[in-house]
Amino acid sequence: MEISKTSTGLKDIVCPDTVSTEVDIHAEGVEVVKSLCYFCHANCGVLAYVKDGDVIKIEGDPNYSNQGGLCCRGTSALLHVNHPGRINHALKRVGEKGAGQWEQIPYDQAIQEVADRLNQIKAESGAEAVASAGGTTRTDDFARRRFLNQFGTPNGFHNALLCWIPTFMAETCVAGWSPFETDLGGAKCLVMWGFNPGASTLPGNRGYLDLQKAGLKVIVVDPRYSESASKADLWLPLRPGTDAALALAILHTIIYEFMYDFEFVDQWCDGFDELRDHVAEYTPEWASKITWLDADLIRTAARMYATNKPGCIQWGCTWDQIGRASTTGSHALALIRAVCGNLEVPGGDGMPGPALNFLTDEELELNELLPEEMKAKQIGSNKFKLTSWPGYQLISDNAKRTWGKTLPAEWFCEAHGPSVFKAIITGDPYQIRALVCNATNPINSYGDSKMTLEALKKVEFLVAVDYWMTPTALFADYVFPAAGALERPIIVTHYGATDSVMGGRRAIQPKYDRHDDFTFWRKLGLACGQDPANWQWETIEDCYYDILKPLNLPITCWNDFVDYFRMYYPPLHQNKFKHGGFWTPSRKVECNSSILRELGYVGMPTYVGCCENEIDTPEIAEEYPIVLTTGGGFMPYHHSEHFNMPGIRFLYPDPYFSINPVLAEKLGIAYGDWCWIETRRGRIKMRANVEAEVHPNVVFAPRGWWFPERDGSADLDNPFGCLESNVNVLTSVDDWDCDPMGGSWANRGLMCKVYKCTELDNEFTAKDAVWSIPGSSKTPGVTVMPSDQHLDREKIPFEKPQCEIEVPEGYYWVWQDNNLYQKGTHFRLDASGWLINPRTKGYHDAYTGWRYDAQGGCLVDDATGKKYTMEREEIVEICGVRCYPGTETAPYEFPGTLAWDAEKGYARLGDKPYIYDPNSGWMFDPATCAYHDANYGYMYDGAQGCLVDPETGNRYSMSYEPLD
Amino acid sequence: MTRYVMVIDQRRCIGCHSCTVACRTWNKLPLDIIYNPVLTEGAQGEWPNVHKTWTPTLCMHCANPECVPCCPNGASIQDEDGTIWVDPKKCMSCKVCVNACPYGMRDASHMESRLHRFVRKCSFCRDKRQMDPNAQPYCVLTCHQKARIFGDLDDPNSEVSKLIGSVKTERLFEEFGTEPQIYYIPDLGGKA
Repeated sequence: MEISKTSTGLKDIVCPDTVSTEVDIHAEGVEVVKSLCYFCHANCGVLAYVKDGDVIKIEGDPNYSNQGGLCCRGTSALLHVNHPGRINHALKRVGEKGAGQWEQIPYDQAIQEVADRLNQIKAESGAEAVASAGGTTRTDDFARRRFLNQFGTPNGFHNALLCWIPTFMAETCVAGWSPFETDLGGAKCLVMWGFNPGASTLPGNRGYLDLQKAGLKVIVVDPRYSESASKADLWLPLRPGTDAALALAILHTIIYEFMYDFEFVDQWCDGFDELRDHVAEYTPEWASKITWLDADLIRTAARMYATNKPGCIQWGCTWDQIGRASTTGSHALALIRAVCGNLEVPGGDGMPGPALNFLTDEELELNELLPEEMKAKQIGSNKFKLTSWPGYQLISDNAKRTWGKTLPAEWFCEAHGPSVFKAIITGDPYQIRALVCNATNPINSYGDSKMTLEALKKVEFLVAVDYWMTPTALFADYVFPAAGALERPIIVTHYGATDSVMGGRRAIQPKYDRHDDFTFWRKLGLACGQDPANWQWETIEDCYYDILKPLNLPITCWNDFVDYFRMYYPPLHQNKFKHGGFWTPSRKVECNSSILRELGYVGMPTYVGCCENEIDTPEIAEEYPIVLTTGGGFMPYHHSEHFNMPGIRFLYPDPYFSINPVLAEKLGIAYGDWCWIETRRGRIKMRANVEAEVHPNVVFAPRGWWFPERDGSADLDNPFGCLESNVNVLTSVDDWDCDPMGGSWANRGLMCKVYKCTELDNEFTAKDAVWSIPGSSKTPGVTVMPSDQHLDREKIPFEKPQCEIEVPEGYYWVWQDNNLYQKGTHFRLDASGWLINPRTKGYHDAYTGWRYDAQGGCLVDDATGKKYTMEREEIVEICGVRCYPGTETAPYEFPGTLAWDAEKGYARLGDKPYIYDPNSGWMFDPATCAYHDANYGYMYDGAQGCLVDPETGNRYSMSYEPLD
Repeated sequence: MTRYVMVIDQRRCIGCHSCTVACRTWNKLPLDIIYNPVLTEGAQGEWPNVHKTWTPTLCMHCANPECVPCCPNGASIQDEDGTIWVDPKKCMSCKVCVNACPYGMRDASHMESRLHRFVRKCSFCRDKRQMDPNAQPYCVLTCHQKARIFGDLDDPNSEVSKLIGSVKTERLFEEFGTEPQIYYIPDLGGKA
C-alpha cells in the first residue's frame, strides 16, 4: 500500500467511518425519563435517555433547580450503573469472616435466611439485640423504620447526629420548627456558617453568586479559605471547633449594641431578659481569645447580620460536628435569628413545618407499634436525650399539639451509633447480636474507626446492603445488592421534615438482582412474618403515590406526578406565627427553652469548650500542638463514596491534607510529602498540600478515604486501607467528648501533631490498628465500660410545676401552657368543652371526636362520613334530604297530596317511592335522585323544561298542560 | 460568518471540576486524556489575606493556530467557524502539533494501540454540534455556576459578544501571536 502525504494509510482499515462517540438522542425508540441524581442530597434533575430498557445517555435537566448543571458525580451516573465493581447478586459468606469468599444465591433465598436468623436472635435475646446502621438520607428510611418498629427494636441509627438533627432539635426547642428554608430572594444578608456550597450543593452556590451580584451580603464562617470563602464579603477564619464561642459573642453584641428587633422580642420572645443577663459575659473580647478572631471582626459580623435585615443564616454541617459544644452553638445561632426578628418573615428563615397536604414520613413509620418498654431500651437514650426517645417524645407530642403532624422518628429519634458499636464489643448495656448496614460503611463514616472496625468484626451476624464491596461489607454474612441512581424512583422531602416534595422516576428497572431499599425491607419484613397488611404496597412507586394521594392531583400513579408536576410546593405562607403563635409549648420563641430544661439541660446556650483545646486542656495541647479540622465535604467525593470510580478518582488520586507554608517549613514538610497526622486516638498518613488556605497552626484533613483498588482480604487489620488515611481514626466518640444533648461526636477542633513519614516509619502496621475503649486510652482494649463513661456536663435537676387542675381520664396536662390535651389525638380541650384540632383549628366533640360542621349545624364522623345531630343522633339522608325515621308527626309542612310515612321518616306520594324535600318542594327518586313533582309524581325533564309521566311517557308543561 | 468562542468567567468558577469530568465522560475519553483541566492557583498571599482563583482551560481554538499548518498529513483542521479538530483517519499521531501547541492542549492517548492512536483535543463538541447545530458543548451545559459561556462572536446579540464588549477580558499568552479565542473574565474581587 502506498502511503503518501495525503493518504490516510492503514487508518482507513482500522478506523470506522465515523469515530464520533456522540449518542443520537433523537433516534427512534429513545424515551426521555425525568429522573433525579442520587449521589448527594442536592438531588439535581437528570434527564435519562432510555432505549430498549437501557440508559444510553444522561443530561442535567434544564427545567430543574440545577438548570442543566451536573457535577462530577452526577455526570458519572452511567459509569456507576455499569461499573464492574458493583455488587449485582445476593452474596452469602462461605469462608471465614473477611476472607472474601462468597456464594452467589437467589435474592429471595438470602432474604429468607436472614429473616430466620433475625427471628432466632429475637427469640433468644429480644428484638433489641438487632440493630441497623444507615448512612445518609439516600435510602427509603421510612421503610426501614417500618420494619424495625414491627420487628420491635428501637436500635436504628444513621449518621444523623453529625448532620442537622441536633441542630433541628435545638431550633425546634427555641421556635417550634427548624427555620431552614432560607428566603434568599428577599434577603439582604446571608451567613454561611461551616457551610461550603462550592463543594457540596453546587446548584445552591450558583444562586448565591447571582444574588451576591444583586447586592446580597455574604458572611462565611470557615477555618479554611474554602471555595465559598473565596467569594464572600466577610470571612471569619475562626479556630476550628470554637463556633459556640463565636455564636455567643455575636449574640452578646447584637443584644448589648441594641441591634435586636425590639418589637419582635417584646411581642414574641419569652424569657429575653434572662437571656440578656445570661450572655452578658460572652463579650467579643472573651471570644477573641478562644476563636483567634479579632474582637472587632466579630462585632463587624454581628453588625452586618443584624443591620442588613431581613437576613438568613444557612445551616452548615459543622454545627453538628464539634462534639460536646455542638448543640450549644446551634442553640445560640437559633437565638441570634430569633432576636433579630428573622424568623418566618419574607427574606428571612422560613419554618415550613410538616407536610400538611400529603403524608409525612412519620405517618408511614408505624411508630405506634413499638412498645414503650422498647423505647426505654434504645441505646444512648439515657444519655443523649434530645435526639432519642425522651426528647423526641416531648418535641413530637408538642408538634402534634401545634402543627397536627410531626417529625419522622427516623433520623430524629435514633440510637447513638458509636454506643451501639461499643455495645457490640462490651455487651454494655446489653449485647447487640445482629447489625444490618444499609447504605453505609461505618468504618469510614462513623467516629473512632478502629473501634468500629473491631465491632463489625465481632458482631455475631452482619448484613450489608450496598453498591460496592466496602470494608464493612467484607465482614458481612450476607451482602445484598442495592439499586442505584437511575434504577430507583426518588422522592425528596428533606428527611420528611418539610411541606414540599420533588420526585424523579426510575429510568430503568434495577439491573441484575439489585433491589431498591424499600423492596429489601418489605421482603425482609414479610419473610420475618410481619403482617402483609402493613406492607400493602407491591412497589415503591405505589407507596409514593399513596403519599401524594391527599394532594388530589389529577394523577393515577407516581410516574404521572413526575411527568406532569415533578414537584409540589404549597402556597408560600410566611408570618404564620402571627396567627396563633410559634409552635413551642408556650407559643412563643423560648429564649429559655422549657423542653431542654425538662430534659435536664440548661435552657439557654452556655459555653463549653470543644473537646481538646489550648485553654481547657493545656496538657493535651503540649503534646499535640496543632489544631485538626476534618469532616468537611470536598469535590469530587461524597462521604466515603466514589473512590472506586477511575473516571472521578483521577482528579484526586491520593489523600491530601492542607497545611500552611509557615507550619510546613517549620516541620520540614514539602508539597506532596507523605506525613503522619496523630491524635491521642491514633494516626493516619496523608500527603501534604502546602497552601495558605488554613491558619499556620491548623491542618485540614479530608474525610472518607479508603482504597477500593486494594485486596481487602489481604490485610484484615486494615482492609482496603480503610484505617490508613481515614480521618475518623483520629476523631473521638468517648462520651465525655460527645454533645450531652444531641450526642454528636467530635470531628472538628481536635489537637494533633504532624510529622513526615520517614524511611523506617512509612507503613501502616498492625500496631496502628490497635483499638481501645475509651478511644484516647493508652491501654489497648476496654478499660472503661460505656456505662461508666461520664458525660461532660452534669444533668440539671428539673421539677415540673404541680398540676392544679383536675385531669379527666384520657387527657394529659401540659405545664407550659396549662392546658389539657386529649391523649392520642393531641387535640386541646377548650374551655368551651370542645376539642380543638390544631391543624384545621376546627372544633370536635369531646365525647366522640366527631367534627363540628358549622355549615350543616351537625357533627361529622370523618372516618365513616356519617353525620350526627348535636345530640349525637345519626342523621339519615337520602338524596341529600334529611329523613326522620320513627317520628310520628312530620317536623315540616308538606302539600296535602302527600302523606307522612312515620316508619321511613319522610312524606311520600301514594305508594310511589319518591321522597319529599321540604326545602325545594320537589320529590326525589332515591334510585336516581331525579326530580319529580309533588302533585302527580311526574319527572322533571330539565333539557326540555317539561314534566314527563314515567308510566305513560306523556309530557306536560310546568302547569300540567299536556304537550304533543 | 460564525466564529465560535468561549468566555470563561473566573469570578464564578469554584473549581469543582465538573466540566473536566463531564467532558471526559460524555466524550468517552481514555483515562490519560483530559481536554479541559481546571488549574488552581492555590491560596496566594499570607494568611489570612489570601486569594484563590481557578482557571478552567481547554483548546484555545486560535485564530492564528500553530497546530494546523504544522501537520504533515492535513489531519489538524480548522473549520470556517474557527473550530479546530483532528481527523482521526488522517492523523498518524506524529505529535508535531502536540509540540507546536503553546498551551499543551492536545495529546494522543497511550492507552490505545499504535494503529488506533490519534491526537485528541477539544473540538467545542463538534460531533454534538453536527448532530444539533444549536447544541452547547458539554462543559458549558454541566457548569452549575455558569462560568463557561459559549457562542458566536460574529453575532452581535450573542451573550459572548455582549460580554466581551462590556467586561474586561484577558486571553492567555497573547504574546505568542496565536490569537487565542478563549476569553477570561479575571476574578479581581468584584461581583460576577
